[in-house]
Amino acid sequence: MISPKLVEVGRHVNIDLITNSEVQTVEGEPGSFTVTLANYPRYIDLDVCTGCGDCARHCPAFAIDDINKGLNDRRATYIEYAQAVPLAFAIDAESCIGCGLCENVCLAKAIRYDDTKQESQINVGSLILSPGTKGFDPSGLDYLGFGKYPNVITSEAFERILSAGGPYFGHVMRPLDREEPKSIAWLQCIGSRDTNRCGNGYCSSVCCMYAVKEAMIAKEHIHGDLDCVIFNMDMRTFGKDYEKYFLRARDKEGVRFEKARVHTINEISETGDLRLKYADESGKMNEAIFSMVVLSVGLTIPDSAVELAKRLDINLNNYNFADTDTFAPVETSRKGIYTCGVFQGPKDIPGSVIEASAAACLAGGDLSAARGTDITEVIIPDQVDISDQEPRIGVFVCNCGINIGGIVDVPDVQKYAGTLPDVVFTDSNLFTCSQDTQEKIKEKIKEHKLNRVVVASCTPKTHEEMFMETLEACGLNRYLFEMANIRNQDSWIHSKSPELATQKAKDLVRMAVARAATLYPLEEKIISVNKRALVIGGGIAGMNAALNLARQGFEVVLVEKKTRLGGMARRLHNTIDGSDIQVYTKKLIDQVNSAKKIEVLTESRVTGFGGYKGNFTTWFEVGSSLKKRKIDHGVIIVATGAVEYQPTEYLYGEDERVVTQVELSDQLVKKAGVDHDSIIMIQCVGSRNEKMQECSRICCQAAVKNALHIKKLNSDTQVYILYRDIRTYGLMEDYYTEARRQGVIFIRFEDDAEPQVTATDDGILVKVKDHILQQEVEIRADLLALSAGMRPENTDELSGIMKLNRNLEGYFIEAHVKLRPVDMPGEGIFLCGTAHGPKLISETISQAQAAASRATTFLANSEIKLSAITAKVDTEYCVKCLTCVRSCPFEVPVFNTHTRVIEIDEAMCHGCGICAGICPREAIQLSFYENDQIISKIDALFAGGM
Amino acid sequence: MIVAKRKPFDEIDNMLKGYKKVLNVGCGTCVALCLAGGEKEVEILNSEIDMARKLAGDPITIEGITIERQCDREYLEALDSKVEEYQAILSMACGVGVQFLAERFPQIPVFPAVDTSGLSANQAVGWYEERCRACSSCVLGLTGGICPVTMCAKGLYNGPCGGTNQGSCEIDKNQPCAWYMIYERLSNQGRLDNILAITPPMDWQNQVPRTLIQPGYKKPEDVS
Repeated sequence: MISPKLVEVGRHVNIDLITNSEVQTVEGEPGSFTVTLANYPRYIDLDVCTGCGDCARHCPAFAIDDINKGLNDRRATYIEYAQAVPLAFAIDAESCIGCGLCENVCLAKAIRYDDTKQESQINVGSLILSPGTKGFDPSGLDYLGFGKYPNVITSEAFERILSAGGPYFGHVMRPLDREEPKSIAWLQCIGSRDTNRCGNGYCSSVCCMYAVKEAMIAKEHIHGDLDCVIFNMDMRTFGKDYEKYFLRARDKEGVRFEKARVHTINEISETGDLRLKYADESGKMNEAIFSMVVLSVGLTIPDSAVELAKRLDINLNNYNFADTDTFAPVETSRKGIYTCGVFQGPKDIPGSVIEASAAACLAGGDLSAARGTDITEVIIPDQVDISDQEPRIGVFVCNCGINIGGIVDVPDVQKYAGTLPDVVFTDSNLFTCSQDTQEKIKEKIKEHKLNRVVVASCTPKTHEEMFMETLEACGLNRYLFEMANIRNQDSWIHSKSPELATQKAKDLVRMAVARAATLYPLEEKIISVNKRALVIGGGIAGMNAALNLARQGFEVVLVEKKTRLGGMARRLHNTIDGSDIQVYTKKLIDQVNSAKKIEVLTESRVTGFGGYKGNFTTWFEVGSSLKKRKIDHGVIIVATGAVEYQPTEYLYGEDERVVTQVELSDQLVKKAGVDHDSIIMIQCVGSRNEKMQECSRICCQAAVKNALHIKKLNSDTQVYILYRDIRTYGLMEDYYTEARRQGVIFIRFEDDAEPQVTATDDGILVKVKDHILQQEVEIRADLLALSAGMRPENTDELSGIMKLNRNLEGYFIEAHVKLRPVDMPGEGIFLCGTAHGPKLISETISQAQAAASRATTFLANSEIKLSAITAKVDTEYCVKCLTCVRSCPFEVPVFNTHTRVIEIDEAMCHGCGICAGICPREAIQLSFYENDQIISKIDALFAGGM
Repeated sequence: MIVAKRKPFDEIDNMLKGYKKVLNVGCGTCVALCLAGGEKEVEILNSEIDMARKLAGDPITIEGITIERQCDREYLEALDSKVEEYQAILSMACGVGVQFLAERFPQIPVFPAVDTSGLSANQAVGWYEERCRACSSCVLGLTGGICPVTMCAKGLYNGPCGGTNQGSCEIDKNQPCAWYMIYERLSNQGRLDNILAITPPMDWQNQVPRTLIQPGYKKPEDVS
């Protein structure tokens, strides 16, 4: 999943990647920092190394593989993992024995034994600190037997065991005897929510979810039954769609969840199995035996990051996370230095990616005046017209050091390529991907007037883009290129049969040459970008997005359906850490109203929509007079927000002593009800039930926040919180601990045994089965507060007009849950705040900044080049059966009611090819992958005889 | 539209036994729309036949062509010069197309490759639901737009049979009772009196091949 991101970063012309280095000092002011780096020796020249791996294969010295958590070895000359960027090896000086073998085998001459630690300086305008996290080391918790019993491992190690690139190649095995386990226990909160043994009072936020995931994948990978038990205190599956995944694990896949903390683990020496001892909820002592134990270790800040923060004068909190303000979640204590990811606080991948974009937004915002300066621009020469030429194909066969050449007879393959139709030139290279070979290819293209190029080497996934750029650099259209993967799909997997591998290489080359002959230049359409942004929704999310876009220099139209800005924040008072939401919101509204680049349209409704990325048009009705208004814009940010659920349960609306948490906050601010003897809160009202499966994420902290407020007003008021799992994730766990310390009573109930509420003159009576007493108790309260979940704003009309997809719950759907959490599937459309899913104000702010950042990336270009790989309809043959219209995941093909034909807008087409594949009349073709172009390969394969 | 589904492969294979050179004719209209007999299905079926016959040691030359519609003589004309070189024709059109093709080339055996399965609405890609039996005496005006001939297992014209069961049909509890639906629809529209109208039984006119001539048109021979 992360691989394409790595490649993108590695190939970006304006990202200067400095690895194996550490920041020493940062001097100067925002806009002009001087950063001093310590560059540690790698002993292999990054620019010369081709990543072929010969050095590592010959290296005789071994070291523990840290990436695989010590479950296997690696060589002293190594690369951390196959997809690492930069794709260059390094020598681990601590385990190197200095034998000199790697220097002898390296054909690229990249080994530098005399490499030393250097110091370098760079000038930058802003900094982003994302030093990441380290799994908690459970060695100090002796009762777990970690380090003593081989079958007790950390969740990080288990992740590696599940990975195809891991120590056991994806086979689930126990470290002790490499046998498949029959049962696995996950122990939650190892190094989290534990002030007793390790001092980490916070919740790591991610472990519940990854434990469920690991259990599900382990069950998939294993060849029989596998009993998976997750020992937990609360299951904290609070993220978007996470609850559904948890329910699937529990109800469909049979993963068991046990509410207990295991206090002792002993190995059964004959079998290597582990005996777990624990007390269940009723206090009964239990024992259970498992083949394997996985410790769900929490997230911690590595010492190196703590030292870095000290050197940079950045404040950290008591758990060593960066100290940030609720309303400025990615700003560190030092101006001009931003942060994101777990260093900011425990969080999952989507949260980290959102914060990364937010940090980029602020870091770039500081420097927006200098945008476009100090960058590398690629200049592409005019294209040569080849329309009247017969195909002249050049074939370049790669040895990849000895990766290919050591198995496949490369000279023979090259000779064979020369005999194929339309081939006028062949060559072979030691490394076809090296910089000097690119120059050589360019020369040969010109010298032999080549008009198609085939490279027989490795995978197009990592290398196609680069070769296409080489073609472009000498005037050839980039789509006149084809690759044959004779390494990953040939020499690597057939290394034991060199002759057959050579034969297969010839087949692959013949197929590639056949396809190359069918290729023709494709034109990449260029469209202009309207630099105005439309932000829909004037709450905290929308206002932050608008302000940040304005700060980046773009015009913004901010549309709000109500008469005033502010959204849901108008009903809220304080965050859990005591920050004043009203003061913040008022400041935000003032900033928006005084921002020159922002036009605010209140009381406005979207009535029409058209266009595509960079060129949208939206129609509105504005104000009470319903004045029509048309706005052209290049991007859209959807920030329509959410509201509090209006309960129909527990006498809400029937008895005035029953209120929601938001209403309770109102009362507490007015100091109403300070003389109450007893207040009960019920969690998960309108969440985690049949009607709304999802968790509303914020209600647990809202209950704890209000409970603490009640206690502050009158410590004698007894507060009961009836809950299913308390989900005070991240640093909010401290408030949960504090609430218990102050005597708030928490009573857990099962999802099939909801509390019973009756109204009497004397108060509200609540009956609930206490989980410790294991019997029903009746509690009287003066006030019942319902933790009513979140509901998205009604966006039925908006989503219909703008064709924006929502999930079952009515929240808008992002393009990719993890990697593109603020992008919507349609390009140029972004998403933030509670329109995306329930979240806290600080999370809303960072997501709004992230959306502004993503929109800025888009708006910063005056024009965009569209991919030429799009689908085209032959309207002569098309029978308008609508199969494409109904099959396209992006809703691009439409039936034009005026011209009465099916149209596919190339600006909107993603080039996935689904419509081309499914069209019953084969009337749709995907450029660059036309039927003939694909079938030519198959024909060429069979023509060679099988 | 007319929908069809492809016959099981073995059945097609059996029909073609003994023929060495066959033309498979697809139809570009209804059966193409319902993903049963357009260009793509012709190619897929031909590959299957080709492979099966090769494996059986009895190779066949099978070629494909898809014409716009097999129920229009103008489109069939394109085949006139072609068919002579083939021993048999396989048609992926509906029953109308197969017969029309067989009529035009009476000297060559024509085999159906699909089973015509009704007049259906397209609910989603690949999902078709029958709505009409083409009975030639439409009563939808009286029945709230729900066809008792198609939707009732017995095709009853005048109310449900004794097998109606809480809204379901006795043949399957997932099959709604047509007359229950008709009652609900008419009742919602305040037109329940319509249900009292007696529709005379079908006179089996649909048992003879029907000819339809739209008003203002004539049979070609009448024109001459």
